[in-house]
Amino acid sequence: MIRTLYQIEEKVLLLKKKFRIAVAWAQDKNSIGAIYNAVNKGFVEAIMIGNSTDLISICKKENIDEKLFTIIDVENEKIASLEAVRLTKKGDADIVMKGLVGTDKFLKAVMDKKNGLMLPNAVLSYVGVMEIPSYHKLLFITDPAVIPFPDLDQKIAMAGYAIEMARRFGVERPKIALLGASEKMSRHFENSVDYAIMCKMAERGQIKNCVMDGPLDLFLACDKNSIAVKGVETPVNGDADILVFPSLESSNPFYKGLMLFANGELAGLIRGTEKPVIVISRSESEKSKYFCIALSCLMA
Amino acid sequence: MVLKNLDDLKKLVEGGPRKKLVLAAAQDQHSLGAVVRAREENIIEPILIGDKELIHNICLSNNYNIDGLRIVHEPDIEKSVEIAVKMVSNKQADILMKGKIGSPSLLKIVLNREWGLRTGNLLSHFALFEVNTYHKVFAVTDVAMNIAPNLKEKIAIVNNGVGCLNRLGYIMPKVAVLGAVEMVNENMGATLDAALLSKMNQRDQIRNCIIDGPLAFDNAVSLESAQYKGIKSEVAGDTDLLLMPDIEVGNVLYKSLVFFAKAKVASIILGAMVPIVLTSRSDSEQAKFDSILLAAAASK
Repeated sequence: MIRTLYQIEEKVLLLKKKFRIAVAWAQDKNSIGAIYNAVNKGFVEAIMIGNSTDLISICKKENIDEKLFTIIDVENEKIASLEAVRLTKKGDADIVMKGLVGTDKFLKAVMDKKNGLMLPNAVLSYVGVMEIPSYHKLLFITDPAVIPFPDLDQKIAMAGYAIEMARRFGVERPKIALLGASEKMSRHFENSVDYAIMCKMAERGQIKNCVMDGPLDLFLACDKNSIAVKGVETPVNGDADILVFPSLESSNPFYKGLMLFANGELAGLIRGTEKPVIVISRSESEKSKYFCIALSCLMA
Repeated sequence: MVLKNLDDLKKLVEGGPRKKLVLAAAQDQHSLGAVVRAREENIIEPILIGDKELIHNICLSNNYNIDGLRIVHEPDIEKSVEIAVKMVSNKQADILMKGKIGSPSLLKIVLNREWGLRTGNLLSHFALFEVNTYHKVFAVTDVAMNIAPNLKEKIAIVNNGVGCLNRLGYIMPKVAVLGAVEMVNENMGATLDAALLSKMNQRDQIRNCIIDGPLAFDNAVSLESAQYKGIKSEVAGDTDLLLMPDIEVGNVLYKSLVFFAKAKVASIILGAMVPIVLTSRSDSEQAKFDSILLAAAASK
């Protein structure tokens, strides 16, 4: 079982495989650094698509041998995104990664109906996995990046993606908490309605391979003491593997807050695509980007 | 105690003080017959309100013994109901029964805002069935009053039914929320409400019972069916109370049980200050008697 973000890399190395990653608009110091690290470890081959002059000059500055990469020179970020997606769809790459390009432009290429990477009828969503020193295990969270206000079908898809990822980490029957402000059902909290429906679906086997409960507040989801104090009977029991958030506005500050104030680390991935898609904020550290690369190889 | 048949209700009223039943617009042969018999069997102490002369004539020609019975003479039908209702609200009677008046007219008077029998609860119909193919009696609600209850109304209907079963000695009655299938289906509203009711029960927002749903009728009443389908449920196969999705399903089920399965049935209206016996002309004499018996057993 993978218990830390560093162990993702160990698991990937055991696969003894080289994953080909196409990076769109790749002339970014942190992206190059992270990719270089993965290439050095021997599990990645990189296709860097971008402004080759800038790319090479960054490599020189960082003491990185640019000959380790296949470099494709393109004019702008839009073409870089299209090319990265095209190569991946064609099978010349296994994974596509966003470099310096804006997320919206990049996802536009990914989501293109004809040339994009979306699975038919799939929900595009994002699953993150967090390592938080004060929590006793890795915590999968969804969706901190893509869907602003998920409806029931999107929540079901989000849960499914998170379950799939947790299982890849070796958590056979992850405990999923569907998060709300309270554990009570209330018509004032529309999400609690979706949650009750999802729990029943899990009970009836319509959502598989998990133990699900919600609505639960964060304490009941992740803190055994609160369970004892509140006396709420829940199979998640303060031991959640997965948190499903009701909105982007709740999940995004959650993970950023943990990174800023609790030394949390996040790796994450877009789901709903034929091949793994790495989308990570341009401001993220080289280490975060490296974790995302390792995660994408694990999920490829 | 679990009631095996409707006769078991007698055990609940035996030995206790006889409940006072007030029959409104008592000049009705069918109702009088059942009331007189229930009096003879020591189940109730009736008070008759209505046209004294008509009451005497009916009893004379049908050999009903009403010696020593309290009769309040009021030939006007609506006024007689008003007297009966006021008797109940003044705690002079424990059960209200409908005589020669239409149900809507009676209910209008029952719901009078000044001196009616309102408690703030929704009124609902509760029927108790005995069929020789099930191992105990089971209740069905609502087959006659609420046409297409929404979630809030369903909660009220369940609470009424559970309250009644609690008074009949069921500590944690098993409630099945009926659907056409046991799976949650977004296109079938009844299955969604069922999921919500189950969750509210888990969270102690609906108490004193165990709720599961959606359950299809076969899963609700047959453990074998439930096991065959792999449904894990505390309720399946052992249902005490079946919640109907709407009146059309409920009414057809009620009538098919009576006509095809030769079920015995007792029914009352719940949600007012006291149980109301509101049988229809087409109910058998036995059903009217059993309904009085149920009202006596369920009265506080």
